[in-house]
Amino acid sequence: MTPPSLDADHFSPTRIALAAVVLAGVAAWAYVLGQTPGAVGARQSFALLAGAAFGIALQRGRFCFLCNLRDLLREGDPRGVLAILVALAAGAVGYAAVFGAWLPNPFGGRLPPTAHVGPVGPALGLAAFVFGVGMAVSGSCLSAHLYRLGEGSPTSPFALAGAVGGFVIGFLTWNPIYLASVAEAPAVWLPALIGYPGWLALTLLVLGLLAALALARGRPGAAEPREPLTLRSAARAVFVERWPFLPSGLLVGAIATLAYLRVAPLGVTAELGSAARTAAGLAGLLPATLHGLDGLRGCATAVKETLLSENGLFVVGLVLTSFAAALVAGRFRPAVPTGAQVARGLIGGLLMGWGAMTALGCTVGVLLSGVHAGAVSGWAFLVFVTLGVVVTDAVGARLRPAA
Amino acid sequence: MKAITGIAGLGFALALGGFAAAAEGGPLVSADWVADNLKNPKVKVFEVSVDPGVYERGHVPGATNIRWHTELVDPVKRDIASAENLQKLLSAAGVDKDTTIVLYGDNNNWFAAWGAWVLEAYGLGDRVKLLDGGRKVWEAKGLPLDTATPEAAKGSIEIGQLNTKVRARLGDVLKVAEGDKSVTLLDIRSPDEFSGKIFAPEGSKETAVRAGHVPNAKNVPWSKAVSADGTIKPTEELKKLYAEAGVDGSKPVIVYCRIGERSSHTWFVLAKVLGYDVRNYDGSWTEYGNAVGVPVANVAGTVWQGK
Repeated sequence: MTPPSLDADHFSPTRIALAAVVLAGVAAWAYVLGQTPGAVGARQSFALLAGAAFGIALQRGRFCFLCNLRDLLREGDPRGVLAILVALAAGAVGYAAVFGAWLPNPFGGRLPPTAHVGPVGPALGLAAFVFGVGMAVSGSCLSAHLYRLGEGSPTSPFALAGAVGGFVIGFLTWNPIYLASVAEAPAVWLPALIGYPGWLALTLLVLGLLAALALARGRPGAAEPREPLTLRSAARAVFVERWPFLPSGLLVGAIATLAYLRVAPLGVTAELGSAARTAAGLAGLLPATLHGLDGLRGCATAVKETLLSENGLFVVGLVLTSFAAALVAGRFRPAVPTGAQVARGLIGGLLMGWGAMTALGCTVGVLLSGVHAGAVSGWAFLVFVTLGVVVTDAVGARLRPAA
Repeated sequence: MKAITGIAGLGFALALGGFAAAAEGGPLVSADWVADNLKNPKVKVFEVSVDPGVYERGHVPGATNIRWHTELVDPVKRDIASAENLQKLLSAAGVDKDTTIVLYGDNNNWFAAWGAWVLEAYGLGDRVKLLDGGRKVWEAKGLPLDTATPEAAKGSIEIGQLNTKVRARLGDVLKVAEGDKSVTLLDIRSPDEFSGKIFAPEGSKETAVRAGHVPNAKNVPWSKAVSADGTIKPTEELKKLYAEAGVDGSKPVIVYCRIGERSSHTWFVLAKVLGYDVRNYDGSWTEYGNAVGVPVANVAGTVWQGK
């Protein structure tokens, strides 16, 4: 559980002013980007704003795959897991609406354009498992480290730095893994097997069952006292208290759908991976050819051509607005990192970077965007990343000296 | 007085023609003409873009998507699409025997021009138009885009046999390299590819094991035919541009590039806009520069694998 905010009871004018400046800056930047004639400027502007919305949704909803899972398993609090399940369901419905317009016939042997339908094979399972271990070690997945960067987390900068290193290791191990396990792994797309209605019904059914399981495992919490609805209590509900699971999940699902419709499926590692690939390439560390990599679906890690790609704008928008949201909520608490935090960040980040490179994305790019798109790769990532966390936490509990 | 009758005559022609028939004479149609003819049952628009997802996130309303890498080429052997597959594609899109086909795409209409060349090779000829400036102009004008996939009743189009008059093969090019002066060879790649400084543009996977160009080829990069706004330059400017390189329509021309698609752009300009006798060598440098025993002009002296 999160500790109650020290500043929760009063808004700080300084922090609010700073947050307003950051948000105004993002809005102005989006406006400037949108002035480029043609479709490019409009897409860049949208990518920045989608990232901004995603950052607010993540921070305010505390939408973090690891902590939500641990809240359920350790504390019996199902809210976070429910938020994820709602986001998966809402996004699947949104994607279905888009697919219906873009690819009316799912049986024609084509995949929906740019949707994250990745190859399903042992490499994906292993990568997702390792990603889960890295999450558990570092205390967050990559998207959550990005929004925690906005909260001033002492671990996140090291986790992200470690992830860049992990990406480089991923590039170095890519060719043998590709030849052994990825090249012939099928990209299985559920609508091509059972049609859109069957896929959507099945997805919602499974998510509903998972929600029932989470609720069954959860302990009934004490009812939160309801304040009368005043300007102050409404402002607290929006700006300070964690958003309930239903609006959080619906918002993430809506952002995912709109981002897919306008720019690309949600993902947070493409820019990070591209930066790692470009830097390592310049340093001469990479193999001359990465077999098949640029032809696969997922968070593409293309060699950088521009300073900030659309994904880069998305990620920067995410970090800036999560910082603004954290400021207002009194959750921006920078701290000097301890040695343990540095080590956990670097090691966990390294594992996550390798996992995200090999799986072609993370909990957002493969899990969220994959399940939304009806990709078996999304579901496989969900299963193996959860296993990775559960196993690591179990081992951690055994190793921890008895108090 | 002349002007008045001219205007009256134009109005009369427009009234008679219903949809602006005036633009249909040439090989290029403007974005405004396409916008005015979206509901014209005798006009069918196709998008041929390189980047995936571009069409789906917004295309000219009613336009059908063509995936060049599976639908305009043979997906297994290196060749242009078979008559059977092309027939299926066009017929499913509702193209009738008298339909005007308008092609457009991203990246300066590169692959739209490739599509125009493929359709020309199958004898569709003057019914095929390019939207001048492609997506770039359509987007810059802020014209409407749609995300829905159109449906059409089966069209009555019938495609003929492959006409090789617009296609050059390795042997044709080799003759020029060995001194045949009856044909002008035009390399439309960048000057650095032409000189042999580089094997291929950055990011191109398909390349050749030798750098340089076909001996006796002239170099006019494709992009010189395009204005800053993305449209093709006026005819007089084009004539001058190519005449300076010795291409004035007096002799047959063969154009080539790396894989044959950028050269389709120049093929379109020379053959359709200027009306010259032009063949496209679709094997291009990735065939010639990999062929054994053929002469190569390598000005830069770059040797395969660099060092």
